[in-house]
Amino acid sequence: MILILLTMVFLLIRVLPGDPVMLHFEKNANPVAVEQMRHQLGLDKPLWQQYFDYLLGIFRGDLGLSMQDYSSVGQQIFSAFPATLELAIYSMIIAASLGIFLGVQASKAYNRPQDHVIRIFGIVTYAIPVFFLGMVLQLTLGIGLHWLPVGQRFNPTIGIPQSPWYVDLNTPFSTALIPSLFKITSVHLSTGLYTFDSLLEGNIFKFVESLRYLCLPSLTLGLVLSGVFIRLTRSNMFETLRLDFVTAARARGLRETRVTYGYALRNAFLPVLTMVGLQFAALLGGAVLTETTFSWPGLGRYIVDRINFRDYTAIQGAVIVFGLFVSIVSLAVDLLYAYLDPRIRL
Amino acid sequence: MKSIRAIGRMVIIGIIIVIIVIAGVVGYYLTLPTGPTVKDTLVMGTTDSVETNLDPAHAYDYFGWEIIRSLGAGLVDYEPGATGPSDIIADLATDWSVSSDGLNWTFTLRQGVKYDDGTEFNATHVKYSFDRNIQMADPNGAFLGLGFADIIRDIIVVDTYTVRFDLSIPFGPFLSLIAGQECVMVDPKYATMHGSSWNATDAVYYTEGDPRASNPMGLGPYTLANWTRVAGKDTTMKLVANPNYWGASAGIPKTKNIIIQFYADSSTLALAIQGGEIDVAFRQLTVTDIKTMQSNTNLQVWQGTGAFIQYLCLQERYAPFNETNIRKAVGAAINRTLIVSTVFQGQAQNLYTMIPIGMSGHKDVFQNLGDPNYTRTQELLAVYGFNATNKFTFTLWYETSGHYPQSLQQATVLKASMEASGVITVNLQSLEWAAMGSARNAGTMEAFIYGWYPDYIDPDDYIQPFLQTSGGTWLNLNYSNLEMDQLIEWARGNTTDSVRNTLYEQIQDLMVTDSPIIPIYQGSAYAVTSLKVKGVYLDITQNWRHWLVYIEQ
Repeated sequence: MILILLTMVFLLIRVLPGDPVMLHFEKNANPVAVEQMRHQLGLDKPLWQQYFDYLLGIFRGDLGLSMQDYSSVGQQIFSAFPATLELAIYSMIIAASLGIFLGVQASKAYNRPQDHVIRIFGIVTYAIPVFFLGMVLQLTLGIGLHWLPVGQRFNPTIGIPQSPWYVDLNTPFSTALIPSLFKITSVHLSTGLYTFDSLLEGNIFKFVESLRYLCLPSLTLGLVLSGVFIRLTRSNMFETLRLDFVTAARARGLRETRVTYGYALRNAFLPVLTMVGLQFAALLGGAVLTETTFSWPGLGRYIVDRINFRDYTAIQGAVIVFGLFVSIVSLAVDLLYAYLDPRIRL
Repeated sequence: MKSIRAIGRMVIIGIIIVIIVIAGVVGYYLTLPTGPTVKDTLVMGTTDSVETNLDPAHAYDYFGWEIIRSLGAGLVDYEPGATGPSDIIADLATDWSVSSDGLNWTFTLRQGVKYDDGTEFNATHVKYSFDRNIQMADPNGAFLGLGFADIIRDIIVVDTYTVRFDLSIPFGPFLSLIAGQECVMVDPKYATMHGSSWNATDAVYYTEGDPRASNPMGLGPYTLANWTRVAGKDTTMKLVANPNYWGASAGIPKTKNIIIQFYADSSTLALAIQGGEIDVAFRQLTVTDIKTMQSNTNLQVWQGTGAFIQYLCLQERYAPFNETNIRKAVGAAINRTLIVSTVFQGQAQNLYTMIPIGMSGHKDVFQNLGDPNYTRTQELLAVYGFNATNKFTFTLWYETSGHYPQSLQQATVLKASMEASGVITVNLQSLEWAAMGSARNAGTMEAFIYGWYPDYIDPDDYIQPFLQTSGGTWLNLNYSNLEMDQLIEWARGNTTDSVRNTLYEQIQDLMVTDSPIIPIYQGSAYAVTSLKVKGVYLDITQNWRHWLVYIEQ
C-alpha cells in the first residue's frame, strides 16, 4: 500500500512542471552553479536510479535531504508531526464525543423537534468549510471576546513545555552505545504534545496556555467532523433501540442511561468506530486547511509549503508519514473491533 | 434509598469538579509570569520566515536579511528614511575614499568595536568575511548571484583599522553593493572552515536549541536568544539587546527584547494585530486588511516607499512581439491608474520606468508613450492590419501561488485596460509559481507579468538585469541592443553621480524606444502597529530596523 502510494507520489510530482533547482535561482542563474546543485541533489541521475536510491534510503530509515534547505526531511517531519498529532487527537475527541452524544439524543427523540435541530446542526457543520468556520470562531471568540488566541501553538513570551526527564548521554554506557552523537549530552524525553509535556513538567500555567491555543483549531476541526458522527450514530442507534434486547433491558427495570449507553450504543458502535478510522484520513486533509488558518506549525502546512518549492523529498516523506499514520489508525481500529465485539474474536 | 445515594454521589462528584476548577483557575493566576514591563519587550508578527539560514554567504531572502542586519553590521549602511545611494552612512567604517580610476576603495574602521563575545573587531575580520563569502561561492547566495568575484579582485589589510578593496573593474554602485546584508561581517569563531578551502557546505545552518551556533554574526544591535523552527519554518524567534554593540551608549537598540511570531497567512496576522496579540504586523497584510485598519482608531498604519516593482515582459523571440511597434502598442494601452486604484486601492504608485520613484536617475519615460493612449495603440496596430474587426490577440500569463500581490486581479484589470483600446484581445492564462519559472526559462510565454525586489539600492540593479544582453539572460526575452549594453557598461563603471544620472536618462529613453519590458507599478510598504509604537522607518531599502522601534511608555 505504502509502496504504491510512494511510487505514485514520486512520479506525479516529477510530472508537474517546475524545477526545484531553478527555484533557487529566481534571478541570475549561473549554469555551473545550477549543474552543481543538480548534482548535489542527485537530480542529474536517471529517474529509475533516483527512485531506487530513494527506496533504498527509505528502507534504511533515511527520508533524504530537503531540496529547499538541505536539512534532514526525517527531522523536519519529526519536529512537525507532534503538532499535527495533538491537533488530530483533540479534534477527534471533540468530533466523536459531540457527534455520538448528539446522535444518540437525536435517535431517542426521533422525528421530534430536538431531532430536527440536531440533524440540521449535523448537516451545517458537515457542509461548512473549515477555513470559514475557523475565521468565524477567530472573529467571535478571539477578536470579539478576547477569550482565546487566534493563531500559533504556544505563548511566545514563555518557554515551550518540556518534560523534566532526560537521558544523560555522558554516562560511560551511553557513550559506548552512541559515540558522540552530534555532541548532544542529553536528550529530553518530551513528546512534543504540549498539553502532555506541560503536565509532565508539572506546570499548570503552561498546561492551560497550551489548551487555550489548542481550543480554536481543535474546536473548528472537531465541529466540522462531528456532522458525520451525528448522522451515523443517529441512524444506527435508531435501529438498535428498536431491537428486542433493548426492550428486554428496559423491561428488567434498568435505567434509561444504562440501556442507551451501556447496551444499545455498544451494539451500534462498530460502524461509528469504522468511521473514526476513516475520519482520521479526512482529519489529516482538514488539518492542512486548519493549520494554515490558525498558523499551526504541523505537517499540513509543511506539505503545502513544500509543494510550492517542488521539494520532492519533503513531499514524498510527508506523504509516507501520512500514509503510515492512517494505516496505523486503521490497524488500531481493527484491534478495537475485537475488544468491542466478542464475535470477531471467535 | 437508592435515589438518595445516587444524589449523594452526584453531589460529591460535583464538589470534586468545582474544587478542581477552582484549583486550576487559582493555580493559573498564581503561576502567571509577572514578566518584564511592556516597553522592554515588543512582539512582532509576520508571515515571512527565514527561507534557508542566517548566513550572509548563503541567505538570499527578505526576512533572512532582516534578521542578519539586526544581528550583524557592515562597513556602511543606509540612513533611516533613505531614498538611494546618496543616503549611505558610516557603520563599521567611519570614513572611505576611492581612487580616481575607481579601482581602489579604502575604508577606515571604527575602533573599539566588539563582537558579542568580547573579541575586538579589526581589518582582518573584514578580509575574512569577504574572502569567505566570495570563495564559498554558495550557489544560493548573493555573492555568486551578483558576481562579487568578478568585481572584487583582492582585499588588502593595510593596518589594524584600514582595509582596501582592489576592484577588477570600476564599479559605480560599489558602496550600495557592500551596504547589502550579504556583506555583513561574520565572527571567525562561528563561521569556520571545515576543509582546506571554503566550500558551500561551510555555511552556518540552524542548530536546534543553540541560537548562537545558528548564526555567524555578532556585531549587530541584537543577539539571537531563541530561534525555534518546525519543519523548516520559523515558529518563534527572540532577539535580545547585544551589550557589546558599539552604538549601545547611544541607546541603541531602543527595545531590549524583540519577540517575533510567525503566521501562516495574512488573515491570521491581521486578526492577531487587531486582537492585540502582537504590537507590530509587518509583511504581508492584504490591501483590504490595510484599508480596514486605516479606519481602526486603535491601530496606526505606517506607509513607506516600496522598492518592489512589477512589469510586463514581452517575448521577442517569436512573432508578434519581435516587432518593436507591437510592443509599443501594448505598452500604450496600459492604464496604470486603473490598476493602482482598483487592484491596490491606492496602495501603490504608477510606474513609468524601471528605476523606482524617489531614486536618483528616475525619469517617467513611459508616460509619453501613453497612460493609456488608445489612439496611439490603434495607429501602431493598424500598420500590421489590426483593427476593431481584426483584433490583435495574445496570451498574457500570470502566477497563482501568491508570489506576487493580487496577481489575478492585476491580470484581469490589465486585460480590461488593453481591451478598452478596441483593437486588442487578451487571453489570460495562469501558472503556479514553480511552473511559471520553468515556462520563463523555456521562453514559452509570449507575455507575462513579473516582479523584482532589489539586491542593492542603486539604479544599476533595476536596469542591468533587464536591459543588458548579458544581465538579462535570466528573463530569456531575447532582447539585445549594443547601444544599450554600452550605455549600461559606462553607467556601471562611473562613480560620479551626475554622470551616472545623465547616462541613466539616456538608457531610459532608449528603453521606451525599444519597449522590451513595460513597467506597471511600484508597491508601497505598509506596517501596522499599536498606537504606542514609535520609530518605524519604511524606506526604499526595505530594511526593518528592529533596533529603532520601541513602545512609548
